[in-house]
Amino acid sequence: MAASGTIDPIELEVIRNALTAAAADMDVTMWRTSRSTIVREMLDYSTAIFDAAGNNIAQSARIPQHLNSMGYGLRAILERFIPAGEWQDGDVIITNDPYCGGQHLPDILSFRPVFEAGRCIAIVGTLCHHLDMGGMSPGSYAATATEIYQEGLRIPPVKLFEAGRRNEALWALIGQNVRQPATVMGDLQSQVASLGVGVEAITRLARRYGGDTLQKAAARLLDLSEAAMRDCIRRIPDGTYTFEDFLDDDGITPDRPVRIHAAITVAGDRLVVDLSGSAPEAAGPINATLGSSSSAVYFAIMAAADRPIVPNAGCYRPIEIIAPEGLIISARHPAPVAHRIAPCHVLLNVVFGALSQAIPDRMPAAYYAVSYVCSFQTRAKDGTRKVLVEIEVGGCGAHPRGDGANALSFGMHNNAAIPIEMIESDVPVTYLGYALAPGSGGAGRQRGGLGLTRIWRIDSEAATFTAQMDRFRFTPFGLQGGGAGAAGRLTLTRDGALQDLPSKVANMPLRKGDIVQLVTSGGGGFGPVAERDPAAIAHDREEGYVLDR
Amino acid sequence: MSAGSHDGKPVRIGVDIGGTFTDFQILDSRSGQIRAFKVPTTPEDPSLGLMEGIHGAAARDGFRLDEVGYILHGTTIATNAVLENKLARGALVTTAGFEDVLEIGRHNRRDIYATWPRPVPALVPRSRRLGLRERMKADGHAEIEPGEADLEAIITRLAGLEVEAVAISLLHAYANPAHEARLAARIAQSLPGLAISCSSTVSPEIREYERTSTTVLNALLQPVVRSYLERLERRLAAEAFEPRLLIVQSNGGVCAPATAAAEPVRLLLSGPSGGAMAALGLSRTLGEANVVAVDMGGTSYDVSVVREDRLEIVTQSEIERLPVRVPMIDIRTIGAGGGSIARLGPDGGLRVGPESAGARPGPVCYGRGGTEPTVTDANLVLGRLDPAFFLGGKMALDLEGARAAIRSRVGTPLGLAEDAAAAGILRLTNTSLAAAIRVSLFEKGLDPRDFTLLSFGGAGSVHACAVAEELAIRRIVFPVDASTLSARGILEADIEHAFARSLIRRFEPAAGETLARLAAEMTAQAGAQLAADGIPPERRRTQLAIDLRYRGQAFELTVPCLDSGFDPAGIAAIAGRFHAQHEQRFSYCNPGDAVEMVTLRRAAKGLLPRPAAVESPAEAAGSPLGSRPVYLADRWGEAAVWRRESIGPGLEIAGPAMIEEAYTTIYLAPAWRLRRAAGGHLVADYQGEGG
Repeated sequence: MAASGTIDPIELEVIRNALTAAAADMDVTMWRTSRSTIVREMLDYSTAIFDAAGNNIAQSARIPQHLNSMGYGLRAILERFIPAGEWQDGDVIITNDPYCGGQHLPDILSFRPVFEAGRCIAIVGTLCHHLDMGGMSPGSYAATATEIYQEGLRIPPVKLFEAGRRNEALWALIGQNVRQPATVMGDLQSQVASLGVGVEAITRLARRYGGDTLQKAAARLLDLSEAAMRDCIRRIPDGTYTFEDFLDDDGITPDRPVRIHAAITVAGDRLVVDLSGSAPEAAGPINATLGSSSSAVYFAIMAAADRPIVPNAGCYRPIEIIAPEGLIISARHPAPVAHRIAPCHVLLNVVFGALSQAIPDRMPAAYYAVSYVCSFQTRAKDGTRKVLVEIEVGGCGAHPRGDGANALSFGMHNNAAIPIEMIESDVPVTYLGYALAPGSGGAGRQRGGLGLTRIWRIDSEAATFTAQMDRFRFTPFGLQGGGAGAAGRLTLTRDGALQDLPSKVANMPLRKGDIVQLVTSGGGGFGPVAERDPAAIAHDREEGYVLDR
Repeated sequence: MSAGSHDGKPVRIGVDIGGTFTDFQILDSRSGQIRAFKVPTTPEDPSLGLMEGIHGAAARDGFRLDEVGYILHGTTIATNAVLENKLARGALVTTAGFEDVLEIGRHNRRDIYATWPRPVPALVPRSRRLGLRERMKADGHAEIEPGEADLEAIITRLAGLEVEAVAISLLHAYANPAHEARLAARIAQSLPGLAISCSSTVSPEIREYERTSTTVLNALLQPVVRSYLERLERRLAAEAFEPRLLIVQSNGGVCAPATAAAEPVRLLLSGPSGGAMAALGLSRTLGEANVVAVDMGGTSYDVSVVREDRLEIVTQSEIERLPVRVPMIDIRTIGAGGGSIARLGPDGGLRVGPESAGARPGPVCYGRGGTEPTVTDANLVLGRLDPAFFLGGKMALDLEGARAAIRSRVGTPLGLAEDAAAAGILRLTNTSLAAAIRVSLFEKGLDPRDFTLLSFGGAGSVHACAVAEELAIRRIVFPVDASTLSARGILEADIEHAFARSLIRRFEPAAGETLARLAAEMTAQAGAQLAADGIPPERRRTQLAIDLRYRGQAFELTVPCLDSGFDPAGIAAIAGRFHAQHEQRFSYCNPGDAVEMVTLRRAAKGLLPRPAAVESPAEAAGSPLGSRPVYLADRWGEAAVWRRESIGPGLEIAGPAMIEEAYTTIYLAPAWRLRRAAGGHLVADYQGEGG
């Protein structure tokens, strides 16, 4: 535990607010100056402030998958690549390499130190999901990659700026290797601008309160969050709780389920999460490095806290993660990782499932736990192409306090739907429906949330279709006797004949008039359905949330 | 009734009905004076308090009711109906297959750590959402025409639902409203008395969820707002009182009661717009081009920005997480006010707000049963408020109660003396107020140091100096009647309407003909509307603007057309302005990229006659009332106490000083100097180093 001297309690709170405000100023700057719809509409980026040792002390609330992974990346850089002594005022250090602390190649981590009186007192950071990082597939989401070299450009931890001087060679190298370089380089420039705002804000604080006080405050904030987290853990009964779930397959080897397993041991105010029982690395790009999967574990446990906690790296201290190298959740170079969010979604459910044995009154049943990624590339007679990428969601797990939410982003991602009218104004597809999927929520005393149905009709001469999904075979589990959510399903209707498609589809040719229908999975139910309130049953019937039997 | 019969009358009244007080500003053109008046709000029927206030003001100022030409009325009746969920029972008709769009929404969540996330509530349940077999395409052509039997089926189902209102929102109705119009006509014919809202009328813009949400809110508000306005008009009629009544909208303009009753969604976010309008007026009076205006009341802090003589208008906002797409003044609100509660968090750290003691029970010092210390209590304990002169002496404050609460709930647990604990509460409050201002400016690419702070609302002026120092802002304006400034802005409003038409296509010379036709249609629409409002042609003003974006972007910028037409040169000029605006706002532009248009907007204004106000005669330089101990940043000191009205021209006051007026108090910190400026407004300048 970091030593923390005495600090005035009011000053501490003022600094706490100022640090959070600094992360928010960085966030707004990132949003304001970026170019891609990934940042602007899907808000797939995060900003944070770290102490000089790389501990996250304040963050903007954006994407769960990012939030608790940036510190992991920063510490990897400090410990293994660029030691603290080599960081200079005005440096900007970036990496996207999952094997150097990154997540997957489209995510670029960027950091800049804040110097005061010749020493580093803090580090500011941003993480941005970029439109493309090269590789065999647009967006660097290669569904059939079997090694990371196919997934795109890898940037080891390097200086994008060195003591304020732009590393032109590096900018040129990146620009040469990505699709739509203007957008990608523009978003990278936004990351730099956001870091500048962060440095200004922290410098302002240091001038006002002194670097020493600032560092003391940071240490104290970490200690406070750690203590709050330990209190929460102490209120979880001691014991070892195990749980497992499966991904349908890795897209390369059909019909081979991929196990995600966790054994959680609670002992007093400590918690050990052993992931050793998980499957080995997969051939396809559904692997996660420990940086990604530990983010899922931290997020799960912080969400499970029974009192509000201030999220920062202090929350991680009571948590130990055991994960031998070479598993699906601790992949080694050169395993492909483009869809690293797939095992993270399921891992979140598994940690929730294990914890529910200890604290059954506050953990939800499983949510849909997959990013339903579908992409279409349409081709008109004259050769004009349009690309459409959508990410859909399903139902949330029932909670001891009530039914799960219908069709809502949950867990590791948090993306927004694209308006149908916007898409139809641009891309030659027509939607035949966008609706809740009645009956898809797991039955129970509390019902799982409903999945949804989205139906596309191809209006162009030809098109190709790519899907990266899951939960077609292994469904979101119920708890305490609640039923599972319905499985997802993807179908193609051509000339009136309907056929099922697998959960992973790579570049399937489509024709004009083809109809693709996605039904996403519902959430799991909670408690025996026999105990469901008759009024709730009547309401479900009246509203058509369940199917008449 | 034509406007003309009212124009000759000397008295105009702006009235703003808030949660606690109903504020009036009364302009009498015979004296040229504008005077404020205040009565308690009567929540069970706000029109009661309104009428009482008018009688009270008439008695005080000596005008007769038949001398009142205009009443410009700001009301939170629509807002409160949504916040308190007192909406009508309604139904929704959508394109078949899309009935659930209202419930699915954009499906992202706010509270990311919640294990049981609560989605945005669907205001019309699934069982009352009906699908019509029809389909319009993005280019406005019908792929499926609804048949008679399809329309009939909807009528039959609607008849069985026992609803007061129905919203109709069909896909791509912004491009072609024909199907909505047919269905609306059939409903009107078969089910008379049912309030109907069509998305192609209420919000004819692209993006189905936002359009549907706006239309549904409109439908469910119609019965509520209509009955309020009817009650108000009956009350006026009962006294043979016949002023022209106009209702304040979210964009700061006013509209006729009939318009408000048909499109109540226009009123939904009108609460803070009066204050922003007043800020704009003041920036002109004082010649301050860049003003950040803050309105601090009991529960909230509203931040609006006047830049280069205009207020930013946004085309979409939200209430209770529900998107509302009507033009409104861009205002950022945080939950911080005089009633914000200071308490210790689960980790033992001090937190201020967002929970508020509100008006009931209110701060501990109100003596109405409040037990948790608030920001107002802290101000009182530190001498920033005078316990004997709150609300001009109408309400005695319980200083001992406030001290005890701060001591026991904050000071003792944190090991701080009572005054240090109170100062800590204020410090935390001031830094979060400053953070709200900083982020409001940052998101527009602006620097706080380039701005003047305009402080109003009952609770704001004791915090203004600290907030300005936090932001390195060097000038603060404390306007006349700071606590009723919102009503003052309302008093200066004009009639405004906004028309919009969405059409996505490349913005290039080939689009000129279509654009010119749309613009002409909207001009005719605007002319007809203003004529119905009784506005003669010479007092009509319209402005055309267009929402543009680079192809592939998912957001648009509203670019004024100014005097550019839609010939190739005009289109090039507008595109040029788009690139420049994009550069300013987002720090880059791509002049080589294709520009796409999304929505054409016509704003129509009917200027109301504006009697001139004159400045109240300047009084001679006065002297302070006395002095009292006030806690400065970290120690007690002695501050001169002034009554605002005794600060005459030519006088300069150095901080620390307290300036008292009936409904607000200014705390002038050390290093600030204050003087009286044009119009009786007080201006304080920072004398310290740095910035």
